[in-house]
Amino acid sequence: MATRSPLCPLSPVADLIRIQQQDFDLAREYQALRRDSAAGATADTGIGAIVTFTGLVRDFLNVATEALDTAATLDADAGTGSDRGATSPAPGLYLQHYPGMTERSLTAIVDEARRRWRLNRVRVIHRVGQLAPGDQIVFVGVAAAHRGEAFAACEFIMDYLKIRAMFWKKESGPRGSRWVESRDSDQAAASRWQSDDRD
Amino acid sequence: MIRVLFFGALADIAGREQLDLTWQPSLDSPAAIRLALAASAPALERALQQPQVLVARNLDQAGWDTPVADGDEIAFMPPVTGG
Repeated sequence: MATRSPLCPLSPVADLIRIQQQDFDLAREYQALRRDSAAGATADTGIGAIVTFTGLVRDFLNVATEALDTAATLDADAGTGSDRGATSPAPGLYLQHYPGMTERSLTAIVDEARRRWRLNRVRVIHRVGQLAPGDQIVFVGVAAAHRGEAFAACEFIMDYLKIRAMFWKKESGPRGSRWVESRDSDQAAASRWQSDDRD
Repeated sequence: MIRVLFFGALADIAGREQLDLTWQPSLDSPAAIRLALAASAPALERALQQPQVLVARNLDQAGWDTPVADGDEIAFMPPVTGG
């Protein structure tokens, strides 16, 4: 990576876009946004703001834990789809993606954020595979000279990730599992940015 | 050969995540591939008719009449639900 002068804080930096099964460490991601790893431990003095977002797996069933205790008495009356009748899976989420295309869709979202705001480093991590309620699922971190850009770009990337990035969630609970339906509220959240002239 | 991929609920309906079709000139678009599935998998063909289904050709978002050639990978995807 090219060495960066503090006088030129917005020289091009490679974005980190990662899809992985394993968990991530918020403190490490924050430090990676703050410091140029290629330049050792030196903090990048061109950065004035870092905004990070972490998404967690919500306990979407709310009563999942209690329901599990009585799962044996529940019959296959829920009609939850193809997995009905299978043994009760652990409550949680299964995350599927399209290797290759998912990375492209995330790169396009980050590129679009870069067109709208002057940004320094951007890191996006999305987990896939089997996750449990409370698990970290997604991380978006944006470093910029000023907080306005960092806040806006972080929210923009998350809003577009929800409607454009190739991931599919399958919920599992005591009554079986089902693919999550897309939500109009996510479309609405992303469409805010279309009417917005922020650049 | 055309490699056809199904994701999310569409894979459940297809009963598989991947289907390799022998290349024929008539399979010249995602719409033509969908039509070709109608005989053997009518429920799948109906599911693919839903307006929100996404199509990709070789990892790029495509339309139902995007040209398809021998060796292409075509994906049919439900609306995304990540994050």
